[in-house]
Amino acid sequence: MTPGKKRLSYSYYPGCSLHASGREYDISTRALFKALNVGLKEVPDWFCCGATPAHNVDELLSLSLCAKNLSLAEEVEGDLAVACAACFSRLKTTQHHLKEDDNKRKQVEVAIDGAAALNKPVKHILEILAREYGLAKLEESVKKPLVGLKVAAYYGCLLTRPPEVPELDDCEDPSIMEDVLRALGAEPVKWSHRMECCGANFTLSRPGVVLKLSNAILESARIAGADCIMVACPLCHGNLDIRQKEIKEAYGAPDSTLFGNIFGSELHGGSAPDQRDVPIFYVTQLAALAMGVASQSLGFESVITDPKPLLRDKQLL
Amino acid sequence: MKNKLMHLSNETMNIGFVKKVEALSGSSVRRCFQCGKCSAGCPMSAFMEHPPNRVVRLLQLGQGQRILAGRSIWYCASCETCTTRCPNKVDLAAIMDALRKLSWDADGPSKESYVQLANRLFIENIRTYGRQYELRLGAAFNMKSGQFLKDLMLGPKLISKGKLKMFHSKNKNIADIEGIFKRIEEMRKKGEAL
Repeated sequence: MTPGKKRLSYSYYPGCSLHASGREYDISTRALFKALNVGLKEVPDWFCCGATPAHNVDELLSLSLCAKNLSLAEEVEGDLAVACAACFSRLKTTQHHLKEDDNKRKQVEVAIDGAAALNKPVKHILEILAREYGLAKLEESVKKPLVGLKVAAYYGCLLTRPPEVPELDDCEDPSIMEDVLRALGAEPVKWSHRMECCGANFTLSRPGVVLKLSNAILESARIAGADCIMVACPLCHGNLDIRQKEIKEAYGAPDSTLFGNIFGSELHGGSAPDQRDVPIFYVTQLAALAMGVASQSLGFESVITDPKPLLRDKQLL
Repeated sequence: MKNKLMHLSNETMNIGFVKKVEALSGSSVRRCFQCGKCSAGCPMSAFMEHPPNRVVRLLQLGQGQRILAGRSIWYCASCETCTTRCPNKVDLAAIMDALRKLSWDADGPSKESYVQLANRLFIENIRTYGRQYELRLGAAFNMKSGQFLKDLMLGPKLISKGKLKMFHSKNKNIADIEGIFKRIEEMRKKGEAL
């Protein structure tokens, strides 16, 4: 920290996934912030933001749950840092709607029996890394550049859409993830599916949908020559990582892949489709690795598609 | 359903329903001029019998029942691509939310009740525990949907990787959360909330 400048410090809303299936996102976020000397204090007694199911069936409930969480966050100093793309989207959406619509705000304030905290800035981890900590400083802080690692940056849906809510980046052609990757010394690849939906929470009710959409994403990353995919959402991670083996089983036969069906065997040079494992990393795992954080503190043991062979191959472990 | 001839008259057009959708979603339905951009970008339209642009068209024609009878609204992934790209600022994602709420409230038989079931269990978890208890969510879904063996191999793997907690504790402020649910129910009863 430059002298005279206040140390960055944030309140932190991890969300349910980060305490369960996305635990490595939580672990690596904390490790990264510690390495960057940025403060992070968890909001006490936060509860579920309602994610997609709540707004799917009851918008008022969804807004009220988020509004209550925002007022809990008021008790902790600093802008609110959120890692999960869905929690980020819900909290920002709530602020956006309640600022625009007095009637809704009044209903929500009755529901939560208190005032809604609409002015607490909610920020995604990517935003904090790229804009507040700053790309230049991030690059300076790198101890072990991720040289030679080709990464497909996957935005998914809720980080950028609809543009007036997250206000994170361009909603059709964002670059914040690629910028962070370059600062870390990695090589972002150009690929087609960085904004496509992975099937999201259909993973519980309609896994078949998730297998189809996620297969297209993995396939697109392989075709672009990526070694791995970087995500900023625990649900995307779950769909691409946890279900990767199933996806391969479902779409593994020659020419039965999405591209195989369209282009025949030309794309695969007449051979079987590319079935490489594609490790899925959280942005904070790659960033912390580049900051020289020991790999044991990054939750790699919780990942299903083992990233260690790739990292060893690139001499990053 | 798709090929059935549609007769439009004051009797067959349920304009009240459309007004409800517009009030709930805060979005105009009439602005749509059927460019089809929403459906072109929709990752789920291949699974729907009425792709997004047709859902709006059916609403314009007062044919809400046709939409609710089908599966389209339960195949929307809420990815917001449609809303983002609409040149006329029709908030289709919000309209889908409104349609799901109206379907949920009416509690009519749904061909696609699995998604409704999953949503219901998810919300029940919030009310009971404060946070998601993923093991219970998965197990309850399998029990109630009759797919006892679904993802059976995934469970032990996730537990061994620390991704699925066996036990779960309740939030300390669970009474506050219950209060939110109760107050919303009361407001609805009194007609103070949509």
